[in-house]
Amino acid sequence: MKKILFAIAAFSMLTACGSDAEVSNNSAEVELTKEQIVNVYTHRHYEPDQQIFKMFEESTGIKVKVINASADELIQKMKMEGKQSPADVLITVDAGRLGRAKEQGLLQSIQSDVLEKTIPSHLQDVDNQWFGLTKRARVIAYALDRVKPEELSTYEDLVSKKWEGKILVRSSSNIYNQSLLASIIANDGEAIAKKWAEGIVANMSRSPKGNDRDQVKALVAGEGDLAIVNSYYIGKMLNSADAEEVATAKKVGLFSPNQEGRGTHINVSGAGVAKYAPNKENAIRFIEFLVSKDAQQIFTDANYEYPILESVAPTADINAWGEFKEDTLGLNKLGENNKKAVLIFDEAGWK
Amino acid sequence: MKQAGSNSETFSLKSRIKRFLRDNNRWSVFTLAIVLFLALPIIFIGVELFAGPGETWSHIVKYLLPEYILNSLFLVFFCSVLVLVFGVSSAWFVSRFEFPMRRQLEWLLILPLAIPSYIVGYAYAGIFDYGGTLDLLFRQWNIEFIRVDIMNRAGLAFVLSISLFPYVYVSARAFFLNQANNLLEASKMLGVSERKTFFKLMLPLARPAIVAGLVLVLMEVLNDYGAAKYYGVNTFTTGIFRSWFSLEEPETAVYLSALLIIIIFALILFEKWQVRKIKFSSSKSNSTQIQRKESSGVQKGLIFIMVFIPVFLGFVLPVAQLLYWAFLTATTVFDLQFLFVSLQSFGIAIISAFITVFFALLLIYFSKWSALRFIKNVARVGVLGYAIPGAVIAIGIMIPTIALDKWIIDVLGQFGVDSGLIINGTLIALFYAYAVRFLAVAYNPIESTSLKVSSSIPDSSKVLGVGNLKTFFKIEFPLIKTGVFSAVILVFIDVMKELPLTLILKPYDIDTLAVKAYEYASDEMVMEASIPSLFIIFTAMVPVIFLNKLLIKK
Repeated sequence: MKKILFAIAAFSMLTACGSDAEVSNNSAEVELTKEQIVNVYTHRHYEPDQQIFKMFEESTGIKVKVINASADELIQKMKMEGKQSPADVLITVDAGRLGRAKEQGLLQSIQSDVLEKTIPSHLQDVDNQWFGLTKRARVIAYALDRVKPEELSTYEDLVSKKWEGKILVRSSSNIYNQSLLASIIANDGEAIAKKWAEGIVANMSRSPKGNDRDQVKALVAGEGDLAIVNSYYIGKMLNSADAEEVATAKKVGLFSPNQEGRGTHINVSGAGVAKYAPNKENAIRFIEFLVSKDAQQIFTDANYEYPILESVAPTADINAWGEFKEDTLGLNKLGENNKKAVLIFDEAGWK
Repeated sequence: MKQAGSNSETFSLKSRIKRFLRDNNRWSVFTLAIVLFLALPIIFIGVELFAGPGETWSHIVKYLLPEYILNSLFLVFFCSVLVLVFGVSSAWFVSRFEFPMRRQLEWLLILPLAIPSYIVGYAYAGIFDYGGTLDLLFRQWNIEFIRVDIMNRAGLAFVLSISLFPYVYVSARAFFLNQANNLLEASKMLGVSERKTFFKLMLPLARPAIVAGLVLVLMEVLNDYGAAKYYGVNTFTTGIFRSWFSLEEPETAVYLSALLIIIIFALILFEKWQVRKIKFSSSKSNSTQIQRKESSGVQKGLIFIMVFIPVFLGFVLPVAQLLYWAFLTATTVFDLQFLFVSLQSFGIAIISAFITVFFALLLIYFSKWSALRFIKNVARVGVLGYAIPGAVIAIGIMIPTIALDKWIIDVLGQFGVDSGLIINGTLIALFYAYAVRFLAVAYNPIESTSLKVSSSIPDSSKVLGVGNLKTFFKIEFPLIKTGVFSAVILVFIDVMKELPLTLILKPYDIDTLAVKAYEYASDEMVMEASIPSLFIIFTAMVPVIFLNKLLIKK
């Protein structure tokens, strides 16, 4: 008897859920015809983004539907969906992946005076296929008690003998490291880039592991004197719920390298309109909204990124590190040199 | 059906085909159809194999492959050892002895499975980190803290073992509980010591069950991406992702997955071979449950400690760390929406669990009823999905379903209907993907219990003219119920924490707890990921406790 009851319960659950799903699907289809929407494929899994999307919905009445996954997976998904892809906008956290999406014919060129005017030209695609939304700098974090900022100068200097066994950096599978090396390839050439990667490997204090925050913790724990990290993670640590993390972040200084020369390597989180976007107009409005003053304010206040809009000041936490000169290398170069960078990493033994 | 009608039994192709036509029955056809359906994504990946690897292959072989192989072998070896120690010892103690809190520990031992292994990895890193939990405690006691670096190969082997050993525990316990009693009594009567009985009798007999669990563990170990990446250990699977995304060569990634599949297939064949070698069936022992031994107070205490250690390391400690993080971040992260997402996750997981178990039952029994022997081996092809990284399966699913979708769009388009994608981006594709991915998880426990059902019972039923299906429902199903329910639970838990597949194939409006946890963790907000992780654990606890009640009542 129990068994039968169980079977009935299980079956009714199955059918109940099944019909629920159908109902919601049908209603979604009905909505499609009535409601304005924009389908967003995004790699940015940040809470503040939700807030920005909601603001966009309120001000335009266009509903934002989101698929979250890593940019690589999203690009693969768009490729497979082809013309049927529901994606309107692709958002990534680095320029390299946007370059890749463009290369594979997944994005389209768009006309937007707003984007054209707001975004510095080296932070957007030459063919207007993608646009930077926020900036992040890859900087050198140093232990305040052991290193003086005067000892630091450039990325290239990190391979000098004095830093032997002192450098902390994460795995080469990380896109920010790949972009950094890609920028060195673009600026100094492949041969120097390879020497540089080998030099860093020789100076590493431990085999690469963990994420950027872990490099900072290891730095303070004394495992090394310098760490190559993205600045906004320090911002996040300074505002962490864990008092210990806050204390840790306060024990490091940030140094922006290459100030005398080309400037510090920066990358963008950016967006592009999908080639087969079913809601192209909404997609453009959406991206324009992301570079509006309100949205930019949230990006920097809640996520500690550098706003792309010059009229918005970076939040106090990251402003404290001072202004710095940015490398104005066209970010297209990052995507173009990405694969070369990965091959060099392998050859240099950078895990 | 045709008569072969020839007495020259040569092994020519002709006679083989003849024999196939003669012995072929509808069950064989059904089995083949189901295998084809479930293996379709794997076949699509396999086809790409003939294209060969991309141009960076020689680069990979030169700079990366040795490390991948070495690290993967290291993990396979040490995880096997640890998992066997934790899984088998706890299963034996729990089945054989009475000790304090035995009932609670019995189901607590399954729960480490409920925490995604990358989250366990984060939790342990958090415990041993600078400024981590241990560091803080030691500082409070004013003791110099010597940091143990857990983020390396050995640490990874530990983390994976401690979160995966329940696969072995579950299958070993099912054997000890239901099959071992008669032999145990006999051994006792012959005056054989407890220890000798265990090592000389129980362990060899339980081997098929234990190995079935172990194969699942190893598939999952080889497939792990999150924990390995975080701990900086490069394995086959991290290599698949590197060649796919960093080197931009999907064909090389597919090639590496295919190599991985071959390794797994070798593991499965090894398992089959060793089960056949021991060829056994204890037919009559289904009726009696094992008698538990009362022992002295000291012994009880020791046994309690032995059983508590894996629960402590695999569940209590990581959950404590997660709770601490949750406490720190609750005000910013907690949201009533989590309750809704929990319900969604629960619904998706339970439906997929039933679908997957249903397919596993079909495969096992159809191939049994088929008169052709090779069909049984063909059926096993269906379980390979577990060894393939979820992201790769997702691609394998999308190739045929998108083709089908496009065909539907074309057909409907002629009638002026624009249907859009019907299968992709809906729950159908997701359920299909889960069935492909987790079939092995359902197949193994059901198969190992069904092997123990002596064939004489269903045979006599069939002699009496009762059909296959009726025999199954009236006689066999009640006997393999334990295995079936274990399978439902295991698939349920696996779906609850599944990530890459879900990310790629999920519909817009559906969220799962695993996806929520990932959104935080991938942005280095490990602490914030603790709340959705805890929700996964608590949601998974519900059916685990329910299953255990069923097992005990039996």
